[in-house]
Amino acid sequence: MPILSVQSLCKAYGNLDILKDISFDIDPGDFLVLVGPSGCGKSTLLNCIGGLIETTSGRIDIDGKDVTALDPAKRDIAMVFQSYALFPNMNVAQNIGFGLEVRKIPAAERTAKINEVAGLLKITDLLARAPAQLSGGQRQRVAMGRALVRDPKLFLFDEPLSNLDAKLRVTMRTEIKRLHQNLNATMIYVTHDQIEAMTLASKILVMKDGVIQQAGTPREIYNQPVNTFVAGFMGAPSMNLIEAQITFKDNAARISVTRADEPPIQLIDHNAPIGLKAYENKTLTIGLRPESLSDAPMRGQQTPQAVNCLLDVVEPAGADTFAVMHLGGTEVTARLHGDIDVQSGARLDIHFDLSKISYFDRDTTQRI
Amino acid sequence: MSGIGKSNEKWILLAPAITVLLLITALPFVQTFGQSFTDAKITALDRPTLWIGLENYIYALSDPYFREAIGRTLYFTITSVGLEVIIGVGVALLLNQAFRGRTLMRALIILPWAVPTIVNALAWRLIYHPDYGALNSILLQTGLIDNYRSWLGDPKMAMNMVILADVWKNFPLIAYVALASLQTIPGDLLKAAAVEGARPWKRFRAITLPWIMGPLMVVLILRMIEAFRVFDIIYIMTRGGPSDSTKTASFYVYQEYFNYLRSGSGSSYAIIVAGISAVLILAYYVGTRQQNNGANA
Amino acid sequence: MKRRPLHSVLLYTAVLFLAIFTLAPLVWLVLMSISTPTDLTTVPLNWIPSQIDLSRYAQLLNINDGSGARFLAALRNSMLTAGGATLIALIVAIPAAYAFTRRGAPMILLFVFLATIMMPPITYVLPLYQIFGSFGMLNNTVTLIIVYCALLLPFATWLMKANLDVLPIEIEHAAFMEGASTITTLRRVVLPLALPAIAATGMLSFLVAWDEFFYALIFTSDMSAKTLPVTIADFAAGRVTDYGVIAAVGVLATLPPAILAIAFQRFIVSGLVAGSVKG
Repeated sequence: MPILSVQSLCKAYGNLDILKDISFDIDPGDFLVLVGPSGCGKSTLLNCIGGLIETTSGRIDIDGKDVTALDPAKRDIAMVFQSYALFPNMNVAQNIGFGLEVRKIPAAERTAKINEVAGLLKITDLLARAPAQLSGGQRQRVAMGRALVRDPKLFLFDEPLSNLDAKLRVTMRTEIKRLHQNLNATMIYVTHDQIEAMTLASKILVMKDGVIQQAGTPREIYNQPVNTFVAGFMGAPSMNLIEAQITFKDNAARISVTRADEPPIQLIDHNAPIGLKAYENKTLTIGLRPESLSDAPMRGQQTPQAVNCLLDVVEPAGADTFAVMHLGGTEVTARLHGDIDVQSGARLDIHFDLSKISYFDRDTTQRI
Repeated sequence: MSGIGKSNEKWILLAPAITVLLLITALPFVQTFGQSFTDAKITALDRPTLWIGLENYIYALSDPYFREAIGRTLYFTITSVGLEVIIGVGVALLLNQAFRGRTLMRALIILPWAVPTIVNALAWRLIYHPDYGALNSILLQTGLIDNYRSWLGDPKMAMNMVILADVWKNFPLIAYVALASLQTIPGDLLKAAAVEGARPWKRFRAITLPWIMGPLMVVLILRMIEAFRVFDIIYIMTRGGPSDSTKTASFYVYQEYFNYLRSGSGSSYAIIVAGISAVLILAYYVGTRQQNNGANA
Repeated sequence: MKRRPLHSVLLYTAVLFLAIFTLAPLVWLVLMSISTPTDLTTVPLNWIPSQIDLSRYAQLLNINDGSGARFLAALRNSMLTAGGATLIALIVAIPAAYAFTRRGAPMILLFVFLATIMMPPITYVLPLYQIFGSFGMLNNTVTLIIVYCALLLPFATWLMKANLDVLPIEIEHAAFMEGASTITTLRRVVLPLALPAIAATGMLSFLVAWDEFFYALIFTSDMSAKTLPVTIADFAAGRVTDYGVIAAVGVLATLPPAILAIAFQRFIVSGLVAGSVKG
């Protein structure tokens, strides 16, 4: 049985539809990440699940029970907020214990639980401090402690790391992942950061304009994006979306990409999807991740295809070097080896790996 | 955002406030309205009260004394609020300059506002005292007058003297509102105008005044609403005299009620005064709406 | 930017003039209260008292003196009335303000609240007089507290709402998430956060009630309920020949609000400005 089931959920403010017919299930132990650009409705969806916002229509079940009309208090969930939302007038121990106190748990039991959680999060020596005396990372831990101490059915995280500096964000990300593994808790996590989504999630919902674009494992989302939006949103640098013409010869798709002042690039895909036949002699959009364009053949690549290209801009980034070219009328990024020594304006043989190529209809933007 | 599935809770939270206001303001208002169509008198409780329709209103609107009282109230309202705005804005401009002791001066001008209205009226009555008042003394000693005058005893002068006292107490509010607004003018804006060669007066007209106009209009209307109700300062300083020259609308109604005990006709006067106030209140509503929308834009 | 000397002279002249305009009436009131009756009745005046006479203060603060008893009773009544009304108004206003801030109560209602106190009191006073009279509740501090509560409530609600609006909503959400009811959230989370706002609202409300004259004049008739403004009016209207006594009463009645206003100037000014401009 799913621990959370959302069915046909809609939320509108007046004429403005924020969520449009959202449906999904998650199983106990899942780490669901809601990801999308700001304004896509992901936080609204989280708040609906949490009961902080009334839904316009649809139904939410938690652990088999309809909670659509219930107060947050009665949903057996906990939430970690972007601003941490610690009670400034209470110390750390009181913050963590607030939910237990409201539920009239005896003081002794409360103290024991607070200490246990504080130990787990390594904040035992902070228990007497006021929130104002804590650093950002410490506040984050207290906020998580407050959620953990009640052992709820569902943990909701609303962009919990976005107020931390870059380094701490990575540390806390790992910590959240470890907590999830150790507690085997069910977590729902909202973020606009696709790296957080990829690293944390067991399941990702990509949202845009109040609609779920794609639901799946991080790998599915990354390798088989259902449309150009998901393709472009997930992954950094983002997937190259290039206009191309398709012809077929010997059962293999021949992809032709125009170039300015040069003959077009010709690539051959032997494993083209069946649906691609319908696009013969038409223009469509192909999706290639930067790592599919390299300065050397990939390991295990069957038919290396190299094309000599002009590198407009070269951006060394340490482990990798990114090169920007002009193909099919757009900028295309290739991911070269970090130690390669090329300058902007140089020419280089670029190896195209088509094993993970995606094809999209140019008009509907949907995957073929 | 209503949220939390508790949007009906608002009526529970509002219930005590609504109850208090219904009982202490709405109910009396309805009763005043009802009495205004009767010939009720405060003393004659055993006498049946007669419904006389619009008679009170017809009489009130043709009563020259009441019309004069309304006129005086409008004169008081417009003159005192007008002076308060001029002085208040002037003081705000001054307190927005850099000078030594500015913080102290900003703190000091709250004092007139803090003086209770009654004490203010009293203090100025003593200052205007015809025999021992400070005003007579200082004007005589500086040679501005030859003889002591009875400032509040002269029907031509009394109202203006009351207005001066009222202005002294109330200019700080406008000064503070104007100052708060002045402090939000981006310094770059004035500097840019100065660089463009605009003279100070031009800068004031082109930038400063339009900037503070919104808040100023709102507080001006609020002060007019307050000034139009004027009663206590009149009660202490002149009791409406001399020869009714300071008898304002509220004072007129008060006398109709508690001196002549005519609750029916007094109520009709009260409702007419309330009607004029309602126009000002509506203006305040529109003003604050525009103000807030402007602030959000 | 360097100022020209002429500018400086003008500026400081204006400041001096403002200081005199603001302070002179108050200084004069204080001077009167400590001058001897002879100095006060000299023509033209003796500006600097020939000797400092504190006898009026001694008299007013002496419960066994006739004037002192009246003054002290009025002081007590004013404290009770203004304090009681402020307390009740806050207790009623805070949930109402919360309804406007977080529970979507219609703003037009808040404006209707405000409109009730903008109406002239003569619109309400007679029926109130008749109603309280029929309950035998005239000349009663409780009556004044009730009426003042209605007088303070709209403004207090408005000011609290403006202050609650800027509190971070996530903290309240966190409390709901943790299982707190609205009342618990208000009491344990919102009120501690809003404490400065409550203090400012309370102070402004207290000052308004302290200043009220019209209802007190009509509803009270003797020392058991008369507030300071009414008592001062009595002093002024009575056959007191020594103006120093009247001045001393005025000084004493001004002290509490003046001290509050100076001590909490920032608070009060920001409350005043917000209260008169926004809506």
